Amino acid sequence: MTTFRSFRLPPLVAAILVAALQTGVIGYMVESRASILRSGAAIRLKTLPVDPRDLLRGDYVTLSYPVSTIPKAIVTGEPPAAGTRPRLAVRLRPDAAGLWTATQASFGDLPAEEGSVVVHSLPFDYYAGPDGGVPDTLFVEYGIERYYVPEGEGRALESARNAEELEVEARVGRNGTAQIARLILDGKPVYDEPLY
Amino acid sequence: MYRGRLERDLKRWTAAGLIDAPTAGRLLQEYDSRESAFSLGRALMMIAALLLSAALLLLIAANWEAIPRLARLVGIVGLIWGAYLAGGALILRGAERLAAAVLVVGTLAFGGAIALVGQMYHLSGDTFQAMLVWFAGAVVAAALFRSGAVTAIAGFLAFAVSGVDWMQSFDADTTILFWLMPLMAVIVILLVRYTGADRVRHLAYLLLVAWLAFLYGEHETREMAMALTALGGIVYLAVAVPQSPLSAIARSAGEAPAFYSYLVLLLGLLALHDEFGGMADRLFLGVVTLVSAIAGIALSGRDNGAVRYLGYATFAVETLYLASETIGSIIGTSGFFLVAGLVVAMIAWAVIALERRFSRNATGAEA
Repeated sequence: MTTFRSFRLPPLVAAILVAALQTGVIGYMVESRASILRSGAAIRLKTLPVDPRDLLRGDYVTLSYPVSTIPKAIVTGEPPAAGTRPRLAVRLRPDAAGLWTATQASFGDLPAEEGSVVVHSLPFDYYAGPDGGVPDTLFVEYGIERYYVPEGEGRALESARNAEELEVEARVGRNGTAQIARLILDGKPVYDEPLY
Repeated sequence: MYRGRLERDLKRWTAAGLIDAPTAGRLLQEYDSRESAFSLGRALMMIAALLLSAALLLLIAANWEAIPRLARLVGIVGLIWGAYLAGGALILRGAERLAAAVLVVGTLAFGGAIALVGQMYHLSGDTFQAMLVWFAGAVVAAALFRSGAVTAIAGFLAFAVSGVDWMQSFDADTTILFWLMPLMAVIVILLVRYTGADRVRHLAYLLLVAWLAFLYGEHETREMAMALTALGGIVYLAVAVPQSPLSAIARSAGEAPAFYSYLVLLLGLLALHDEFGGMADRLFLGVVTLVSAIAGIALSGRDNGAVRYLGYATFAVETLYLASETIGSIIGTSGFFLVAGLVVAMIAWAVIALERRFSRNATGAEA
């Protein structure tokens, strides 16, 4: 006990170890996003108006997508137990206009297929429908629902979003994590996201 | 504060000729030199550190667009390095108190960095995960620097982690808090043992009590309330009965183990009062509660003031509750107040008699 009590790392060694470790955590956060933007599969998503209309909180715009609403018809495989927090794997395919839509969803994993991208939702509260099976629609988030903008610039994006003129180009990593790469307003890219 | 009372008593003893003035001065000096003694300077320094960190976090939250993103990232990482290196250097120079404040800034800056990166790179990820990473960072810093102040931050972050997960999955049957809360409590207790930040121990114990309340909240059943009561009772007896092998270890942790196990016992009894509605059940529960109150006063009354006062309060409240449930309905309101007044007077008399006995025993034991 006495040796345990008296042991103390040299303070500067402790400082370097702690600072390096915490920098590593921050670096990992930044780099895991950058690597998705660098090499992930590109998809283009339509955004939806959000109700209530004025959702600019703080300095981010809340984004909602058609692919956030998953109809029961495209869900395959076993549903999870009610009251759990599962993730949903969603297969996206581009339509004629180049916008990606959900074509298949599963609570398990989906195999990779040519011409499609599988994106994973964040964990969400799952409740069974009235018949005990999957409910008619599932509402999920992908972690690309917030876009932070400089103060005062959110309103323009919001009205564009509400007029359904705003599109989002995202990239999806191999593990199914999506990141926003750029916002497209009226067909023109705005807010091109640098890697760092 | 204790120091004020000590100074007053020392003056009185000096005036009465019990001790001489130099001894009184030396006694006071010894108290002031203790590491745990309250120091206004240190308290203000901690407050300054917290304010500076808060200013920093707010600055980041305000999304400061004037500076390019990469510069902001470098800036906050630089702040982390600067704080920890300064803390290390200050420890080497023996300025432990200032070092503690700077290390607190570093730990809070790490949390700020997580929030900043989330905001700058549009990571609308999991708040719970972010809090957990922050907690882990604080634990590592507290352990490597052996810092009591950072241990306290870790203790508060453990509550924040639990609170965030609890709110986030309010409706879902999550299982993560079932094991995460006790695990974080154990981690904080280990840190307390290692860093010597004795007061932070209470955060860990409160976290465990909150965990038990959470368990009861998830399963509001009679069995759960009974289990809670039994657990509190058994642990309390194990640490408070002098013959128990555990009591020696518990005593090395001060008054806390007995107090918190006693608190769990009382919380369990409170839950049971809620679960059982019948007259006979409530009467039986009332007797159990009164016995628990007396047992607490008898077993820990002499050297554990916290348990003693909890025992007094429980005894008084339960007696009044029983009186209102039983005779209160028969004799009407004014009669009830009469009985209540008599009951409280009787309890007060018993408390005064007990307190006198405890203080006599204490002096007897010292002599």
